[in-house]
Amino acid sequence: MTMSLSRLARHAALAAALLVTIGLSAAPAGAQEKPRPGGILNWFDYGDPGRLDVHAESPLVVQQATAGIYSGLLQYDPDEPSKIVADLAERWTVSTDGRSYTFHLRKNVKWHDGQPFSSADVKASFDRVLNPDFKSPKCGAALKPMVASVEAVDANTVEFKLKFAAAPFLPSIASAWCRVAAKHILAKYGDLNAPEAQVGTGPFKFKKYERGSVIEWEKNPAYFIPGLPYLDGVKQFILVGGPTQLAAAKASKIMLWDAWPPMRKTQADELGRQRTDVDIYQAPINTVFFIYLNAKKPPFDNPDMRRAVNLAIDRQELVAKALEGAGVPCAILDPKLVGDFALPLDEVAKAPGCRQPKEQDIAEAKKLVEKHYPSGLDVEVAVRQVGNYVDRGQLVIAQLRKIGIRGTMKTHESAAGYAAFGKGDFTIIATQDRAMDINEPSGVFHISYTTESGSNYGQYSDPKVDELTERALKESNRDKRKQAYWELQRYLLAKGDHASIAVAWVEGWFFKDKKLRNYKPGLTTYDNNTFMKVWIAQ
Amino acid sequence: MRAALARFVVGQPLGAAGAVVVLALIAVAVLAPVLAPHGPKETGFATYVAPGREFPMGTDQVGRDVLSRVIWGARLSLYVGVVSVFFGVTLGALWGAMTGYVGGAADTASQRVVDCLMALPPIILALSLMAALGQSVNNVILALVILLTPTAARTIRSVALGVAATPFIEAAEAAGASRARVVFRHLVPNCMASYIVLVTTNISYAIVVEASLSFIGAGAPPDEPSWGGMLAAGIQALETAPWMVFFPGLAISLAVFGLNLLGDSIRDLTDPRLRGGLG
Repeated sequence: MTMSLSRLARHAALAAALLVTIGLSAAPAGAQEKPRPGGILNWFDYGDPGRLDVHAESPLVVQQATAGIYSGLLQYDPDEPSKIVADLAERWTVSTDGRSYTFHLRKNVKWHDGQPFSSADVKASFDRVLNPDFKSPKCGAALKPMVASVEAVDANTVEFKLKFAAAPFLPSIASAWCRVAAKHILAKYGDLNAPEAQVGTGPFKFKKYERGSVIEWEKNPAYFIPGLPYLDGVKQFILVGGPTQLAAAKASKIMLWDAWPPMRKTQADELGRQRTDVDIYQAPINTVFFIYLNAKKPPFDNPDMRRAVNLAIDRQELVAKALEGAGVPCAILDPKLVGDFALPLDEVAKAPGCRQPKEQDIAEAKKLVEKHYPSGLDVEVAVRQVGNYVDRGQLVIAQLRKIGIRGTMKTHESAAGYAAFGKGDFTIIATQDRAMDINEPSGVFHISYTTESGSNYGQYSDPKVDELTERALKESNRDKRKQAYWELQRYLLAKGDHASIAVAWVEGWFFKDKKLRNYKPGLTTYDNNTFMKVWIAQ
Repeated sequence: MRAALARFVVGQPLGAAGAVVVLALIAVAVLAPVLAPHGPKETGFATYVAPGREFPMGTDQVGRDVLSRVIWGARLSLYVGVVSVFFGVTLGALWGAMTGYVGGAADTASQRVVDCLMALPPIILALSLMAALGQSVNNVILALVILLTPTAARTIRSVALGVAATPFIEAAEAAGASRARVVFRHLVPNCMASYIVLVTTNISYAIVVEASLSFIGAGAPPDEPSWGGMLAAGIQALETAPWMVFFPGLAISLAVFGLNLLGDSIRDLTDPRLRGGLG
């Protein structure tokens, strides 16, 4: 059969086009790729935030719900998550004595409602979190020990005066919790809880919040970095419970699992069998699994009883079973995260409560309990119904039973649990993860160990801990700072009667869709979830 | 006795099969401390061990022996089922019998209360009660008693109305018997057939409700060996450890199946309209 020349030419052109297409699609992913604008990132929040005030709240669900809406003075670099870079402040200077920081703000930045941004907004935000009468368990708890005052020098300049030269100041200012809110919005609404009050300067605008269902952001076309964000929007489905979250991941309803709760190994394996278009990885999440004892009421107002629980808890078993091996037991600071500020793990492993085999610790714990409660005692053990807390709680109850403490589990819905814990309405909290706000050795002490710490649920006060924490915070010489933190860790491990018991630093498994580009996990669970530079490949 | 048993087996083969299952359930529940190789809350084993020689039903997500928990779960299920049904149906039966006999405004008012309670969807009512009472096995029993009482009251009342119209009740009244004597010596004993049917059929219902409440986290505390609670934990690892769902699910199915078969055959035996009829 003959073919006309023109028809031959058409066939040849088609074949050439096909070959070019095949060649292009075979190119390695990410090689010389240009960011592709458009698309919606589907993600999830592990619970319903209820309240949205990033200054006043501490759960991750709240921070995650509004992360892309707000900007801070500084941020952790989306491209290099360990670096602090400019955000609303385009540059900053430090005085020679380290006690004064001047931030020079970007000009021509607008709030999402079109109002102009200025230093008055920065002052209003930080005056709020630093107000002694305002409970700010994250930003305020970190900054209050360090900051003396905040002044608006002019419309584009803000000065922070510190009480002392403090190494954690810049990391704290860059933290995802120290976001700048609009003065006019704070004046109008009084707080930042309402969806209507979610007016920021961030890469995304707050579009929708359906309770129990979904939170949506849409692209801010007037974002102060031209060309960003690439995404048209972000959708966070509110998915409560591991099976629901995993089912969504397996059904390709979400593109990312990046924070808390991490997947367990069994879940990661299941996902890996179901989907080949995702990258699954293991990582630390800068989060500590704590047990809290109420030091304000019996039986744990008695230091012997607190010491008994500290001895009895088998942290290695909890890591092996509850975290499926993904965790660092016993450490108050994790060497993987803060380097040599952490005590060496072989020293930590010899501390009371961390020794293996466990028989010696259990025997000592039993004696302490029998001294005060010869027939043992019954206590209520509280857990929030999130993640695998109920499983962890059952393991803790089983461990306490060995020393004569008979626990009955009391479960709480997530927000109700936080409310109860904040009021001191518990005897033991079997498990509560506390994520660090910054990757800094001071973080864990300001979160759970000092008298004024944001999550000192047990309301325990040890002046020596406060004194050692403050000394380490104020120390500017790195070696002396390291020695101060070592002394503090050794003190806590040896005394063993604090109401906050660090079980393990939590690690876990996560995934991201292979089509997602330029996403890098932050050093904490709170960072790098603004998605300002993330894009979706075709 | 043997002849009666033989007649029962021949006449009610399904009921006999149900009876065997129920007797096995009772035996497992009573002998749990002897039969279970480990304690139901003992967590000292490796997690997610597949069924094998050491752990015939495998281990769960916190390293507990599933066989031991299924066996102890029989005790918990039977305890909840029997206690809640005994108190719920008995209270309801007495309520229904008394108000049915007394009649009048008291009967009318009490039936309106029954109407209100029966109008509420049972699982919603149970959830609300558990939210108010808090999680514990005894609170599950209390919630079930409140669920079962109105139905029993309505059923026994209708039987009592028929019995109250019989000549021997009239005769007792004419002989000067007090109301209490009439109710307890004449009325209630003549409602026993219906009472027994109610008890046997509601035990399986109570077991299912307890399992359902525990499955959604509103029943027995999570560390108790509740079959429903075990199902909830097993769902989290269905692909990894399907035995965590299979064995407690099988236990619930067998228990409910056996109780229903037995209950049906007892109903057939005690209801003269059904005896020898088409059923």
